[in-house]
Amino acid sequence: MEPWKLQPAHDTGLTPSERFRSVRRESGLLESLAHHICFSMLRSYFAVAHRLTIIGREKLPAHGPFVLVANHCSHLDALALGAALAPRHRERAFPIAAGDVFFQSTVTSTFSAIMLNALPMWRKNCGPHALADLRRKLQQEKAIFIIFPEGGRSRTGSMMPFKHGLGMLIAETNVPVVPCGLAGTFEALPPHRTLPRPVAIKLVIGDALQFASTANDRTGWSQIAAQVESPVRDLVAQSRTA
Amino acid sequence: MNPITRERLFGFRHAFDDRVTVVLTLTALILLLLAPLLIFVVTRAANSTSDKRKELWDRYRSWIWLALFILIPILAGAFWTILGVATLCFLCYREYARITGLFRERTISLIVVIGILFITFAALDNWYRLFVALFPLTVALIATGGLIPDQPKGYIQRVGLGVLGFALFGSALGNLGYMANDWNYRPILLLIIFAVELNDIFAYICGHLFGHRKFVPNTSPNKTVGGALGAIVLTTPLFALGAHFVWFGTALDTPVRLLGLGIIVSVVGQFGDLMLSSIKRDLGLKDTAKLIPGHGGILDRFDSLILVAPAVFHYVNHFVGFAVGQPQQIFSG
Repeated sequence: MEPWKLQPAHDTGLTPSERFRSVRRESGLLESLAHHICFSMLRSYFAVAHRLTIIGREKLPAHGPFVLVANHCSHLDALALGAALAPRHRERAFPIAAGDVFFQSTVTSTFSAIMLNALPMWRKNCGPHALADLRRKLQQEKAIFIIFPEGGRSRTGSMMPFKHGLGMLIAETNVPVVPCGLAGTFEALPPHRTLPRPVAIKLVIGDALQFASTANDRTGWSQIAAQVESPVRDLVAQSRTA
Repeated sequence: MNPITRERLFGFRHAFDDRVTVVLTLTALILLLLAPLLIFVVTRAANSTSDKRKELWDRYRSWIWLALFILIPILAGAFWTILGVATLCFLCYREYARITGLFRERTISLIVVIGILFITFAALDNWYRLFVALFPLTVALIATGGLIPDQPKGYIQRVGLGVLGFALFGSALGNLGYMANDWNYRPILLLIIFAVELNDIFAYICGHLFGHRKFVPNTSPNKTVGGALGAIVLTTPLFALGAHFVWFGTALDTPVRLLGLGIIVSVVGQFGDLMLSSIKRDLGLKDTAKLIPGHGGILDRFDSLILVAPAVFHYVNHFVGFAVGQPQQIFSG
């Protein structure tokens, strides 16, 4: 007989507010229900208000872990990608959001954690342990990360160069990276607007890439950024003409 | 629903009709009012460190909230009491599921949650047959739910943890909610909760004063034989005295039976405490959560109550019964 493997939640010992801000957070029944309800409502919202069209959904891996990577020019981007995921994926889907925007106050961090299942990325004080925690979570929990490697929303609508963070998460792993191109989100909700306009949004999903043999160092991260940025640019162009 | 039932469920005008309720409520309020003075004097006299002082004040502030969480539903009516007990059951189960990892088994966790919801309904409805049927039925459902992933590896663990979780936080703790069907539920519940908390304090004080021999050093190194015996000696007569006024003139109101009930509260309360210590030590944890400042988790605070609830319920039920003369199946009938 094998011994029992009792594994407490990774966030055991954290206060509720610390837990919402932590990448070690694991959802329980109620939070999972909240994510499902939230993403179902978002799906309906995008279908009605933005006539969301998804091309290439069959290219998404059947199960986690994998990383969805897209261009970023609006707060609607992460929500549109989350709404595109199948219900079975939602529980494990984590939009990686800017800590200084979505996790600054208790109210915003509670909302981001409970409703969106977002995980914080602190842009100014992001130490290597934070990325190491995310890397561990991605692989051990078979998670699905939604990442925008530009490091922030584009103020003009045109794509910015990708940063190294993505490479630090997936270099030397078998985790697939799925490039995506989004069009219409900037027109619907650009950074200076508060409420979205009912503009059509298109999402084109590309073929998954893997970087198991790419070194987990600065050179490898640059290669990954370049190799993912190129298909995302193509997919953005495709989504604008689709 | 007849007016008597409505009054029991929602009426608060008669909250202080019973003198035991008045005495216990006033005692709790006086203790809360005097505690700051006591903390101030003790910390000054003992020249406590700032960390120790902060911990004591955190504990005190938490106790204010806990006292309100306990007193308000009980005084407001049986409906609110049963909902309060259900909240306690859910919070305790949540902490248990998270420290054991059972929360990752979504199907089993959902069945336990549904079981607790049904226990709550059975208590609200005063449907005793459903209440007692729910334990075996939920266990059967958990055993069946464990089959759903089609993974025999780990079956005994997930089903075993699910059954233990429901047994402790649904079935056992749920007895506290069912007691609210008794016409005289307010003093009964207040007396039990008060006695269990006092029992913890007595064990702590007696342990410090007379505790030389360790009781169960591997499970809880701070517990001593002196503390355990001291708690029994102090809690038993106090509880028996309170119980004499609560069950005055009933079959339970004999010295032997009242003292028997007092011993049950004290001994079983300490076993509940040790049970949680065992669970935590098995998992290598100090606290079950970090929810209540100065205390830890809800489970850390209410552990002694978990086993006391069914023990007292069935002891009293044997001699005088609960909810005697109250309409059954209030909503479903």
